[in-house]
Amino acid sequence: MPDESLDHFFDRLVSGEPISRRSVLRKMAASGIVVGGASAFLAACGGVEGTSSDKEKADTSNVNHPKAPIGTLVFSNWPLYIDSKVIPGWEKANDAKMRYIEDYNDNEEFYAKVRQELEQGQGIGRDLVAPTDWMAARWIDQGYAIPIDKKNVPNAKNLLPSLQHPPFDKNRDFTLPWQSGITGVGYDPKKTGRKLSSINDLFDPAFKGRISMFSEWRDSAGLVMLGQGVDPSTATKAQCSAAIEKINEENEKGQIRRFTGNDYTKDLAAGNLWACVAWSGDLVQLKADNPSLEFLVPDEGGMTWSDNMLIPQGAKTPYGAETFMNYVYDPEAAGVIAEYVNYFCPVAGVQELVAKRNPELAANQLIFPDKATLDNLYAYPSLSAADERELTAQMQKVTGA
Amino acid sequence: MSSGGEATAPRGKPGGWLTLRRRNALLPLALVVPGLLWLVIFYAIPIVSQLWISLQTGNPDDGFAQSWNWAVYPDSISEYSEQLLRSLQYAGTATVACFIIGFPLAYFMAFKAGRWRNLFLLLVVLPFFTSLIVRTVAWQTILTDDSWIVGALKTVGLIPPDGRLLATSFAVIAGITYNFLPFMVLPLYASLERMDRTLVEAATDLYASRWTAFRKITLPLAGPGIFAGVLLTFIPAIGDYINAQLLGTSQQYMIGNVIQSQYLVVREYPTAAALSFIMMVVVLAIIAAAARLIGTKRLSEAAVA
Repeated sequence: MPDESLDHFFDRLVSGEPISRRSVLRKMAASGIVVGGASAFLAACGGVEGTSSDKEKADTSNVNHPKAPIGTLVFSNWPLYIDSKVIPGWEKANDAKMRYIEDYNDNEEFYAKVRQELEQGQGIGRDLVAPTDWMAARWIDQGYAIPIDKKNVPNAKNLLPSLQHPPFDKNRDFTLPWQSGITGVGYDPKKTGRKLSSINDLFDPAFKGRISMFSEWRDSAGLVMLGQGVDPSTATKAQCSAAIEKINEENEKGQIRRFTGNDYTKDLAAGNLWACVAWSGDLVQLKADNPSLEFLVPDEGGMTWSDNMLIPQGAKTPYGAETFMNYVYDPEAAGVIAEYVNYFCPVAGVQELVAKRNPELAANQLIFPDKATLDNLYAYPSLSAADERELTAQMQKVTGA
Repeated sequence: MSSGGEATAPRGKPGGWLTLRRRNALLPLALVVPGLLWLVIFYAIPIVSQLWISLQTGNPDDGFAQSWNWAVYPDSISEYSEQLLRSLQYAGTATVACFIIGFPLAYFMAFKAGRWRNLFLLLVVLPFFTSLIVRTVAWQTILTDDSWIVGALKTVGLIPPDGRLLATSFAVIAGITYNFLPFMVLPLYASLERMDRTLVEAATDLYASRWTAFRKITLPLAGPGIFAGVLLTFIPAIGDYINAQLLGTSQQYMIGNVIQSQYLVVREYPTAAALSFIMMVVVLAIIAAAARLIGTKRLSEAAVA
């Protein structure tokens, strides 16, 4: 069995990621270059077959990652998600190097890229990744995550109370939030001609063809459910499905211009979109160049999520990853990141620090939300893997693919 | 060169294993090997692999197992007939548009451009120096709702006051036409440029009108170039998904968008593999039909010209 798909392998070869000589030979054997045998050939073809046997959460009792030389720590994170000033600080303190790669562009796409290695029980050449809550849940449930040795992360005590017990990782045994965010409505009052207040304003016929939603159903359907008076965090599959159906109706009426990923920002800034489902941090950044844009946490509520630091199976240095988690949970470093990134900061004590340097930022509800804002935010629904797949397929139908 | 000759000479001497005769027999084979390996690794293996995966059933979380589920083919065709037909329709329209724009351009370059010919050739190829995605994103900017183009078209009344260009079928087809135009122009130019112009003179000497001469001489001689241009434009255009994704909406998605999303988002690998396999078969069928129609020799001649 090959341990990763050939195209992904060539992908890595071209991008200059580390590939050991042994893995090259194994890969060549698998693709029939060295061993022309039929079995190797069929193995190469059968790469999609999964192994369900090892599908078990890792044991979280007795996690022990003793101090050891770190070498190079490899972190795959979302683009524009760090102030790179913090990296040298950690490197110096731990006498280590970090390879910080911004190749985590999309939860499903990243998962699709590394899935085969994970299924074969192999490492993915990374020590830290940054999946969003629901994707982190998948990694944990499939046993692809290494539990955190909490002795190495004393600063984890600074985690905001509201984030300490998410349903997918009750005691934060596997994950620590990198940044959190709010999904709400981004809009341009100059175009809409009025202030918006409700999610259902997106369906105002006057905005026909000028609104967009995310092609990924959790945020889009979550907001629609809030508009329908349903609490998304406890929603059933039927309720989610009904919300997707509502999106379908609006799409067929021509109300929705496009289904997007992060690229909605371009359309919103260009004036092609008047209002859209949007992420808080994007709007903070967009406002810098387009002061007229507004981010709305609708009266009915907004969605909230975190991108989580998680140590993937086969990581070379779990200890190194933990020292980095500890480093960015120090309010000092967390403040530097928060000032750059503009999503909301999961570390307590940062607001006070930032207030001294940048009072305006410290008062921003999108970066340091107060209790009233936090109380109006809802988590993603937690459903079975099979239900999630069906809803994903239903949403893909709506979005035309 | 001479040092190479000296180096091989001793090995070719009589009595050695590699006799001159053997070497001459093996040489063509050795020349074919790299191309053959390329075909096997990047074409034959992927095709077999797609077929193999397409017949599996299961789900991405528990794994897929081989079950020879041939029903996936009729199922995915009926499920995505809309996008399949749309791919053919968009690619077809764009190919016709490319021909309408490309033929006069190629004609002009071959016969009228004189010393500017190389400059025009360079201009045709120039867009290739930038990535396809960058060029298409540039069109997003050019066609925004607030752009002067849209404003002008609204003033003239070509699009309604609340109309738009971006996120419409027109934008997608225009994008494909723009992106694939060089594939049409270059083979057309090559076949026109090789043409013996004296044949047209002879025709007019024999009282053919200019139009008759064009129809009876120029067009038939450009035939292989037209075929090659149509194939080179149409085939990649069917599989294109960048234009639909960047310039269209979900109502413009083509089969490439479906394959991408089935592979990366829904993780329904068998469906994705089946659709890819269907696309490969469609493309092969088109090439085979074209080869039948005008012959492999002329086809490859035109394609490499």
